[in-house]
Amino acid sequence: MIEKIKLEDLKKENILAFGEIYQGKLHPSSLEILTPLKEIAEKLDKSLILVCLADSLESIHDLESLKKSLADEVWFIFHSKLRDFKDDLYARVFIEIIKSTNPYGVFFPATLIGVSIAPRIAGVLNLGLCAHVNALEIENNQIIMARPTYGENIIAKLTSKTIPVMATISIGAFSPKTSEKTPVFKEVIFPENFSWESALKVRSFRSSKKKPSRLSTAKVVVAGGRGLKNKENFQKLFELAEILKAEVGATRPVCYEGWVEEERMIGVSGVTVKPKVYIGFGISGALQHTAGMENSEFIIAINTDKEAPLVKMAHLSLIGDAKKILDLLLKKLKR
Amino acid sequence: MEKIIVCIKGVPKPGTVKVDPETHTLKRESMELILNPNDRPALEMAIRLKEKYGAEITVISMGPSNIIPLLKQAYALGIDQMILLSDRAFAGADTLATSYVLARAIEKLSPFSIVLMGLKSIDGETAQVPSETAGLLGLPSLINIKELKKEDDKWIAIRENEYGEEEIEVESSLLASVSPQAFDYLRPPSLKRLIEVKEKEPLIWTASDIQAEPEKLGLKGSPTQVVDVFEKKLEMKGTILEGEPQELVEKFIEVLKEKEIIKI
Repeated sequence: MIEKIKLEDLKKENILAFGEIYQGKLHPSSLEILTPLKEIAEKLDKSLILVCLADSLESIHDLESLKKSLADEVWFIFHSKLRDFKDDLYARVFIEIIKSTNPYGVFFPATLIGVSIAPRIAGVLNLGLCAHVNALEIENNQIIMARPTYGENIIAKLTSKTIPVMATISIGAFSPKTSEKTPVFKEVIFPENFSWESALKVRSFRSSKKKPSRLSTAKVVVAGGRGLKNKENFQKLFELAEILKAEVGATRPVCYEGWVEEERMIGVSGVTVKPKVYIGFGISGALQHTAGMENSEFIIAINTDKEAPLVKMAHLSLIGDAKKILDLLLKKLKR
Repeated sequence: MEKIIVCIKGVPKPGTVKVDPETHTLKRESMELILNPNDRPALEMAIRLKEKYGAEITVISMGPSNIIPLLKQAYALGIDQMILLSDRAFAGADTLATSYVLARAIEKLSPFSIVLMGLKSIDGETAQVPSETAGLLGLPSLINIKELKKEDDKWIAIRENEYGEEEIEVESSLLASVSPQAFDYLRPPSLKRLIEVKEKEPLIWTASDIQAEPEKLGLKGSPTQVVDVFEKKLEMKGTILEGEPQELVEKFIEVLKEKEIIKI
């Protein structure tokens, strides 16, 4: 049984996290973001609340993982109109909760859905919103967020002048943790006059045909950058990946060059990986990329430049032409 | 006739970015600007809608006058009107302050039926401006759409997300960001229009033209602030091997065996 509670009776001034539920499935990144948020909440002496919007309790497949989550409370908002994800309605539900509970912080995983509603809320309420942060800390009772800046190997620390502090958090930047203490589940009852209407109507859904990439959980990652020179060379990484039972990753520039689809991008605005072995071919190691792979257990870099940041980070570096070494390696392994 | 608005952004050409070592801000003046590659599909979608339904396309962009060539590029592709949102007061804007200026300009252009943007810029990469602008305007928004068409009075969009594709019906006007993968083919500029645009200049709107409240603009109107920057110092920690590729690959294979990635 879940306790039912009126919107206006909810606990105030918490840290809220968006629990993304799509067709009954909880997106794993919603549990990931609770890891840094729990620390933040404890330091600020606030409760951490996961807010889930869904059709009904029965429609949620992952109640077990919610029960083990780090949240102090899980607030559910159930309504048949919340069955499909509708940007405007989901944002309005959140805005009601924000208005009624004055949270200190509101955080979203940087999924497409998170990036759909967080800015809508920020726009409606005129709030600051930081994008794709990958570290959070407390300084002088204030939430400080960090993310690499564009174009240089420098990390920027950001704050937001408006309360609640809002940010989207990079996917895979944190590992989900479990707690012994079961969160309190509450079903939030919205006022009678709240309108559940939306300007959007989802007519149909077609599940994606391509297999989702298992990059973020891969044990071995072979990644390529500009040093591979062209798309043809880059494609050879797929042969290597098959032999090594690995997943292929890429840097931002090569994704934009169209050598490989963007969902294979490793880094701040892409996927974060933590494999046992990461192999980078022709990757110099811009912070944008390394922020997404620096926690790999064993890093191998193949690069012509001995001074490249990735070479400095690597446990083993082979100084040489990435394409030549890849070709030779494939030849030997295929034998 | 339908009116379509497309918002575009000038981004530094990859490789030409210079950073002020003191302030850690981008030196925008010395950068070579290009049209954000992710805005190309938004322009393509607008032009295809124009061809199909007959529409007038207005392109707007916020920035200094070095954006004008990019507006002209959009004109050469087939848009009708160019507007540059330019004012010193706009400088230093975060996504909220940027969205505010765009929202004011879009409002001034109403009535319109569709506002399109790219999914995200390749410099900031926040993907926030489309939904944030829609939030300010109180307009329905969809991000990452692949298709857009009309059915009677309704817009039908195909939106792609992490799970698959949704077909979504929208009854009113709409703001959408377009998937970078929406089209296999992006039209080249037309020669005729390239010549034509030489004689044309964009309209320039300042803060007062869009009746913007000064405290919501630029750095002052930006709630998010950079409080500190730091460099990540890297120390050499591993083994570096140099030599003939042949030798390197042999060592490579040994390590892969040690790590039990390959068995032989």
